Amino acid sequence: MPLIGQLALALALILAFYSIVANVLGARRSIPVLVASARHAVWATCAMVTIAVLALWTSLLKSDFSLEYVASYTSSTLPTVYKMTALWGGQQGSLLLWTWLLTIFTAIVAFQNRRRNPEIAPYALAVLAGLAIFFLGMLNFVTRPFDMLATIPADGQDLNPLLQNYWMAIHPPSLYTGYVSASVPFAFGAAALITGSLDDTWIRSTRRWAIFSWFFLTLGNLFGARWAYEVLGWGGYWAWDPVENAAFMPWLVMTAYLHSVMIQERKDMLKVWNLALIGMAFGLTLFGTFITRSGVISSVHSFTQSGLGPYFLSFLITAAVLYTGLLLFRVKSLRTPAEFESYLSREAAFLFNNLVLVGIAFAVFWGTLFPVLSEAVRGVKITVGPPFFDKVNAPLALALVFLMGVGPLIAWRRSSLDTVAKTFAAPVIFGAVTGICAFIAGLREWYVLTALSLGAFALGTVFVEFRRGVSARRHMVSENPARAFVNLVAKNNRRYGGYIIHIGVVMAFVGIVASSFFKTEVKKSLKEGESFQVGSYELEFLGLSQNETSHLETISARLELLRDGKPIVLMQPAKLFYKRPQQPATSVAIRSTPAADLYVVLAGIDDATGLTTFQVFLTPLVFWLWAGGLIMALGTVVAMWPNVRERAAIAAAVRLPATVDIGAETVPGGD
Amino acid sequence: MVCGALLTPVTASAAATKASQQEVAEALTCQCGCGLTVANCNHPNCEFSVPVREKIDTMLAHGMGRTEIIAYFRSQYGEKILSAPTTQGFNILAWTMPFMALAAGCALIMFTVGRWHKRPPAPASSETPAADQAAVDPDLRRRLERELRERI
Repeated sequence: MPLIGQLALALALILAFYSIVANVLGARRSIPVLVASARHAVWATCAMVTIAVLALWTSLLKSDFSLEYVASYTSSTLPTVYKMTALWGGQQGSLLLWTWLLTIFTAIVAFQNRRRNPEIAPYALAVLAGLAIFFLGMLNFVTRPFDMLATIPADGQDLNPLLQNYWMAIHPPSLYTGYVSASVPFAFGAAALITGSLDDTWIRSTRRWAIFSWFFLTLGNLFGARWAYEVLGWGGYWAWDPVENAAFMPWLVMTAYLHSVMIQERKDMLKVWNLALIGMAFGLTLFGTFITRSGVISSVHSFTQSGLGPYFLSFLITAAVLYTGLLLFRVKSLRTPAEFESYLSREAAFLFNNLVLVGIAFAVFWGTLFPVLSEAVRGVKITVGPPFFDKVNAPLALALVFLMGVGPLIAWRRSSLDTVAKTFAAPVIFGAVTGICAFIAGLREWYVLTALSLGAFALGTVFVEFRRGVSARRHMVSENPARAFVNLVAKNNRRYGGYIIHIGVVMAFVGIVASSFFKTEVKKSLKEGESFQVGSYELEFLGLSQNETSHLETISARLELLRDGKPIVLMQPAKLFYKRPQQPATSVAIRSTPAADLYVVLAGIDDATGLTTFQVFLTPLVFWLWAGGLIMALGTVVAMWPNVRERAAIAAAVRLPATVDIGAETVPGGD
Repeated sequence: MVCGALLTPVTASAAATKASQQEVAEALTCQCGCGLTVANCNHPNCEFSVPVREKIDTMLAHGMGRTEIIAYFRSQYGEKILSAPTTQGFNILAWTMPFMALAAGCALIMFTVGRWHKRPPAPASSETPAADQAAVDPDLRRRLERELRERI
C-alpha cells in the first residue's frame, strides 16, 4: 500500500505538470485536442491523489506501524473513527487532504468548463494545477506521508488526545474545504488577468464557488469554536489564537468579496478591488497554513510544527508578487467609467461594509503579527491576546452590524433624506425600543445596549424587506402569507438567502456579546452529598465513578442539576487519562438552553482531603452563537440553491456574449 | 427584544461575581504554553497560572491595586506576560495602526468616489422591491408589482 501511495503521488505530480503545459499551449495555439488532453490529465491527477489518500487510509485502518505517519499519529487501541480522522491529525496527512480537495475541485472545474469559458478556463486550470504542484512537491520531496520506519514499533504513539473529539473529525475538513475552494475564484481571477478577459465572466463563472467557500469557512470557524468550547474546558470558544485568527481572516475577506462583486455585477465597478480581494482571500488561506506549520508564532493549534514554514512563505511571496504584478499590469484596462451619485446609496453602504470587513481583517492580521514585529524592532517579546482584539474589534463590529442594517433597504444609486427617513423609521424605532427595554431590564453596559439596539435594527430591516416582498406577492397573485413567503424566497433565493444569513449573523453577534459580558464563574471544592449554587441552579455532587478501557481511563463525577429543588438532569463532567501518550484531557458537561449554558468542568480530585473541585460557568445566550451559525449555513444553502429562472438565465448567458447586462440579482450562477 | 429579557436573570449575579482576581488575571498571559490568559488557563495543575492566581489573591488581600499587581508581574516576567501591548512607545503602533488603516481606507474611498463621474440627480432607484419609498406609496406599489411580475 505505501508503495502504491507514493507512486500515485509521483504520477500525480507529473500529470499536474503536463496539465499546465497542455492547457497553456492548447489555449494559446487554439488546439482543442490539447486542451481536452489537459482536462483528462486534471482528472487523472485527481484519481492519483485519491489513490494516495485511500492508500494512507488503508494503512491507518490496518495500523501498519511500518509507516512513520501511522506510528506517529495512531495506536492499535485508537477507535476506528479517529484512525480515519488521523488522516488530518498530522502534517503529511493534512497536506495530503488539502491536495486531495484541491485536485477534486480542479477536476470539477474542468468538468464544468468543458464546453464553457474557452478563453479563461484553461488558464484557470493551469493556475490550479500550479497550486497542486506546490503541494504535490511538498508531499513527494519534503514531507512524505509514505515514509517507512527502519524498525517497526510494537504500537503507535497515538493521536493527540485533544484531537480525539468528534468536532475535530469535521472541523479541519470543513475549514480546508473553505480554504481550498477559495482557490477556484482566485484561479479564475488570475486567468482573467493573464488573458486580459477582464469583464465579469470570471466572477459569474465562480460565484457559486465563492459562496461554497464562504459556507465552509463559516462552518469551519464555527466547528472550531465549538471544539474549543467542548474540549479545552475554559468555558470560552474563541481565544484570538493566531491559528483561529488565520481561519477568521479569509472568512472576513470572502464576506467583503461576496458583497463587493454585487457592485461589479450591477454597476461594472470595483474591478480592481474585486480582483485584489480574491487575491487577499487566497493569500490569507496560505498564510493560515504558514502560521500553523512554521512555528513563527506560538499557537495552541500548532499540533504539527515542522520546517515547512520557509517553503510556504516562499510560495506565498511568489504567488503574491506574481498576482500583484499581473494586477498592476492590467490596471489601466480594468478602469471603467464609474458612476456614483450619493453616499446615501447601496453602493456606498457596500463600500463602507467592505472597508469595515477588511479593516477588521487587517486589525486581526496586525495583532497576530505584532509580536514578531516587536521582537524584530525592539528585541522584546510581547503578547497580543484577547484584550487587544476585543478592544480593537468591538467598535468595528458595531459599525458592521449597522451597515448590515442599512444595506438591504437603501436604494441603488441614490436616496433622499426623506425617503431614507421613511424607509428606516420602523427598524430604527425597533432598535431604539429594544435598547430602552434592555436598559429598563437592568442592563447598563453601553456596548451591550448599543449592540442589542443595532442588532434589532438590522433584524428590523430584514423583516421589512420580507414583509414588503410577501405583501407585494399577496397583492399580485393572491397567495396566503406562508405560500407568498416560500415563493418569494424560492424565486429570489440569492437575495433572500443573503437576508437569512444576516439574521444568523445578528443572532451570533448577540450570543457573542452577551456571553462575553455576562459570564459567571464559580469554583467549588466539596465532598460527596454536598451541593452548591450557581445562579438559579443548584448542583448536588453525588459521587465519582471510574471506567477503564485499553485506550483510556475515565473518572466521571455525577452531579444532579436542580432548579427550585426539582431535579433537571444528571451532569457528568470527566477527566480522561489517555494511556498512549500519557496525557490528561477534559470532558465537560454542558446543559444548554436558549437563556444560558451551564458548563461544568471537573477541575481536580484531592484524594487526601476527599474534596472534588468543580469549575462552573453560567454563560448567557451562548446558544444563539451556534444557532446563528446554523441559520447562516441555512441561508447560504438557500442562496446557492439553483432555481428554474437561474437555469434559464445560465442558458441565455451561454448563448449571449458575456458583456450583456442581465442584472445583479438575476445573473446566472454560472456553475 | 427577547434577548434583552433573557439577559435579565443573570445580570445581577454576573455583576456580583466579577472578581478582582479575574480582572487582574485577564491582563496576564499564562506562560505554560496554553496561549490563554492566566484567568482562562485551566490546566489542572498548571505550574504557572495556579500559583499566579494564588499570588494575585494574596496581593489583593494586602490591599494592592490592579495596576500595582500587574506592574509587579511585569517586573518579574517581562512584557510578554501582559495579555495586551502597553500604550507606550513602539507599542502605540499596535493600537493605532488598525484605526489609521481604517482612516486611510475611508480617505481612499472618498478620494476615489470623488473622481468617479457624478451623474445629474435623477429620480430615485426603482429597480428593486426594496427601493426606499414607503410601502404605502402607490408609486412604489406599482413599481414593486411590475418588478415582481417579471420575477414570478
